[in-house]
Amino acid sequence: MQKAKNGNPDLPVSSKITPELERKVLLELGNDITRVRDKNDLILLFSKRIKGLFYFTHTLVALIDYKDETYAPILLDDQSPIRLHAKYKELVQSRFSLNEPFIQSVLQADDPISFLLEDIMYQPQSPAFLRLNYEGGIREILMTRLMKDGKPMGFLNIYSDIPGSFNDGFRNIIKGIAPQLSSAISNIIKNEELLKKEKEKSFLLDFSSDIALVRTKDELALAVRTAISKLNQKSGYVIRRINEDNTTMSPYVYDLGIHQHDQKIVSALEKARYPINDGLQNRILNSPIPLLFTVDREIQRGITSAYLQSWKMMGFKDVVGIRLRNGETNHGILFLNIEEINVQLLQGICSQISIALANIMANEQISKKQEEQAFLLDFSNDITQVRTKQDLQAAISRVLDKTMHTRLVMIRVIDDDGLHLSPFMYDNTLFKKAKIDFDKMAVERITINEPYTAQVLTSKDGLLFNVEEELKSGNTYAQLWKITGLRNMYGLPLRAGDKNIGTIWLLADQLSQLLLKGICAQIAVAIANIQANEKLLTYKKQLEVENDYLKEQIKTIYNFSEIIGGGDAMQKVYRLMSLVADSNTTVLVLGETGTGKELIARAIHNASSRKDKLMVKVNCAALPANLIESELFGHERGAFTGAIDRRIGKFELADHSTLFLDEIGELPLEAQAKLLRVIQERELERVGGKQIIKINVRLIAATNRNLEDEVKAGRFRADLYFRLNVFPIGLPPLRDRAEDIEPLTHFFVQKYSRNTGRKIRKVAPKVIQQLRSYTWPGNIRELEHLIERSILMTTSEVLDDVYIPQHTDAEKQEQAHLLNRSLEEVERSHIIETLKRCAGKISGAGSAAEILKVPGNTLHSKMKKLSISKSDYFG
Amino acid sequence: MKIVVIGGSGLIGTKVVNQLRQKGHEVIAASPATGINTITGEGLAEAMKDTDIVIDLANSPSFEDKAVLEFFQTSGRNLLAAEINAGVKHHVALSIVGVDIMQNVGYMRAKKAQEDLIRQSGVPYTIIRSTQFLEFLKGIADQATQGSEVHLSDVAFQPIASDDVASFVAKYALAAPINGKVEIAGPERFEMYEIVARYLQHSNDPRKVVANGRPEYFGGEISHAALVPAGGAALGAISFEKWWDKQLQKA
Repeated sequence: MQKAKNGNPDLPVSSKITPELERKVLLELGNDITRVRDKNDLILLFSKRIKGLFYFTHTLVALIDYKDETYAPILLDDQSPIRLHAKYKELVQSRFSLNEPFIQSVLQADDPISFLLEDIMYQPQSPAFLRLNYEGGIREILMTRLMKDGKPMGFLNIYSDIPGSFNDGFRNIIKGIAPQLSSAISNIIKNEELLKKEKEKSFLLDFSSDIALVRTKDELALAVRTAISKLNQKSGYVIRRINEDNTTMSPYVYDLGIHQHDQKIVSALEKARYPINDGLQNRILNSPIPLLFTVDREIQRGITSAYLQSWKMMGFKDVVGIRLRNGETNHGILFLNIEEINVQLLQGICSQISIALANIMANEQISKKQEEQAFLLDFSNDITQVRTKQDLQAAISRVLDKTMHTRLVMIRVIDDDGLHLSPFMYDNTLFKKAKIDFDKMAVERITINEPYTAQVLTSKDGLLFNVEEELKSGNTYAQLWKITGLRNMYGLPLRAGDKNIGTIWLLADQLSQLLLKGICAQIAVAIANIQANEKLLTYKKQLEVENDYLKEQIKTIYNFSEIIGGGDAMQKVYRLMSLVADSNTTVLVLGETGTGKELIARAIHNASSRKDKLMVKVNCAALPANLIESELFGHERGAFTGAIDRRIGKFELADHSTLFLDEIGELPLEAQAKLLRVIQERELERVGGKQIIKINVRLIAATNRNLEDEVKAGRFRADLYFRLNVFPIGLPPLRDRAEDIEPLTHFFVQKYSRNTGRKIRKVAPKVIQQLRSYTWPGNIRELEHLIERSILMTTSEVLDDVYIPQHTDAEKQEQAHLLNRSLEEVERSHIIETLKRCAGKISGAGSAAEILKVPGNTLHSKMKKLSISKSDYFG
Repeated sequence: MKIVVIGGSGLIGTKVVNQLRQKGHEVIAASPATGINTITGEGLAEAMKDTDIVIDLANSPSFEDKAVLEFFQTSGRNLLAAEINAGVKHHVALSIVGVDIMQNVGYMRAKKAQEDLIRQSGVPYTIIRSTQFLEFLKGIADQATQGSEVHLSDVAFQPIASDDVASFVAKYALAAPINGKVEIAGPERFEMYEIVARYLQHSNDPRKVVANGRPEYFGGEISHAALVPAGGAALGAISFEKWWDKQLQKA
């Protein structure tokens, strides 16, 4: 290496310089330099000042980087002759190694050192700029070390196209100015660093105040967008949030920058859920520092996540991923499409985004909670207005279907027995697609020990059955659940206080715990209320019915509290009654009308173990044929037109008591069949109902007909007859128990004299005689009414006359009545009958005389004697 | 090749950087002073760009148990994450002989954690486990001094000169990754107190070395053979005497 010769006398500018001038130049330059704040001003100023004194073409300053032992230009003078060279741009961005003889000789020289380019530029390790400058006409270079803290920090390069430009004066000036230049440059660098830091700080501060105002997702998107566009115009970003399942991430807010992208790709990206552990997202989440990665390289690495492919298609190459973290919790990732990263700035941004994200999420959660609470409040309002099952059903379906996108499958309620669960309400449209009769399935009663029910009832807050998992574990219900397409089945216990009252089953994708608990509590209360209400209504109805019966009994039967009669026939009846009363055997009471069948039935009931409950009486003859069924078995609401309410049948009413079926012989055949079934099975279904009700009823039937004859005539079912005729008790007619007529008479006299307020002390013996000789076709009922009438007619204290019925047409029909007539009466009525038949013709052909086989005159005289007038047979 | 030496301005680092530069490689001496910080991540991604080999010689600024563990974990994680992103082909780290059998010592636990991170990272690697450096002798004497006496253990000790360490590191770095560990040690084996006594003697230090017979190293109890390689180790060329002569020359 050869150093350039000092001094050249042919220079355009005088290179001779006096010490005064040198001092002056140094002073002025020093003053200038202290005022400079911008690095380009510095080099321009320097250039201008020196050029006035010495000749050179251009100058530049290079800085050493000890990290990799290189140097690179930082301050460039715009006079460079090669600045239009194709390689100039590349050159000023290059880094040149310190490990070569040219620059090493500069480093070792204490004073400025000059080189003729042709001497050094061909040396193998010499930097390229030497040759390029030579090509641009430069011939000589003056290199000066710039020192800082006793260590070289860079170089001042001065170029000239005339060899020998750098004389001693020039060198002295440069040597003298070098320390000032060094400190000016390092000050400028420091200053720039400070400015940059300050800019970053103020940027972060601005961002911080923007972020502080963020309350919603959209505001966040805007704030991040603004911040990023301040940093870099083009870059797109996406913030992904960790989903609730904690295994996937989804885009939360994004901006794709200024480029247009295929909408299809964008919307696919937007909707996807990416697994966290895909080899990239987890790397970012685990990294405390921002990670710069290349999309292509990640794809090559074998990461298959779809978003990388999409990004590639969209033209994103380099991306920085930074985790968004608050305390120890990761919330998500910010992906930024940039090539350079400023770690501190990004971390500053991200910590703020993290806080904003956490806030938004907290906000969202709070407003969701609030919504839920408001919703519960509304539901609560609805529920408080519920009085019936229908209201409840409406309220629940409004809430679940419409607001929560949930389907109520079924509510089951624990029965009074504490073991069975009956369906309370259910949605029979739910499994329509399955083509199964959900009605039928629902009606089946299950017990609290049914495995799923038991699990739910013992759980604290209910259970969640994942449909897919249940399918895998072989739960047969799950196949049904799957049809709805909803993901989860929620089974929850309904509790009123600590008591389980039932279960509720809901199908949904996702339900909040708070909502579920709130809803269940309210439904439970509503059901408990409805149940109480229903029970109350039932009791009320039952009491009303019982009250009616009691009133009826007081009116008619209560006074027959004793059965009167000590005769043999009655003794036999008593004996039978005492035999059968204690058992549950069906009793058939037979006897003519008015013989006191109901009294006997009641006596049997009162002597039985069921006497504490009211005996229920049904008069089969008094019921309209088409209402018999509903009367006996009850009906559900809507079972038939006019059935506006649920009604309990007589059988149910008589549960655990006695049902007295009076006039059983009058029951239509159709009803007989139904009755037979109930007697056989001891269970019934209400009309229009689906539920089977077990009953425990003792039957007593009564009739005045001869049932055997009825069976023969086909008017009565033989099987029913045999069912009823287990224990027949026949009641004797009053005419067969003449000995009981006197005590009965006294009994009735007493009863009616008390009722009417008359004082009858005695019954005349003649009256007793009259009563005994009467045949009593109406039996005791006739006797009772006869006495009642006679008492009313009596004026004295002695009953001395009774009005035993005499001649009425109706009575003629009665066999018993006929026996009571005198010969004259028989003769008279027979003649009148015959005359009527003969249209009043007394004698001659086709006349009454001919029929009666007496001569016409005899008939005339008999008619006179019996005082039969024309009005008797023409009436 | 482009090589980044983390801790490139330290005792071993500067030597490794020099050796590799002399071989004509593009070497970046990374340290917080040169704007590359493995704890904050500053400058890391840029430095890693197009890098082939990373040599991690960084040491914790604090030796308190918790701090040192945190340092090696955070630094290791950040560095390896950046290497994965940049596609670095070889990660070389300097560790300590016997690190896994001295887990009662906090520093050893931290170094072990660093080794584990490297093994799990998926980056091709070479872990170089070295014995103590001859340069440590003074420090060992100082921390064991009680008045005018130096109380030291008689555990086996095979210190290596830092020049040798640097040569080994440079050599293994340029070789193919072995995805395992190698051990390096000095050419001579002593009992610890013995070599320290020799050092003090050479440097005319009046302190007297007393063997206390307790098997310990920096306060932690260790086995007698914990600090020396158990099997075949690569041995350095610089003996104690040679090293001492070199020290004198430098001075």
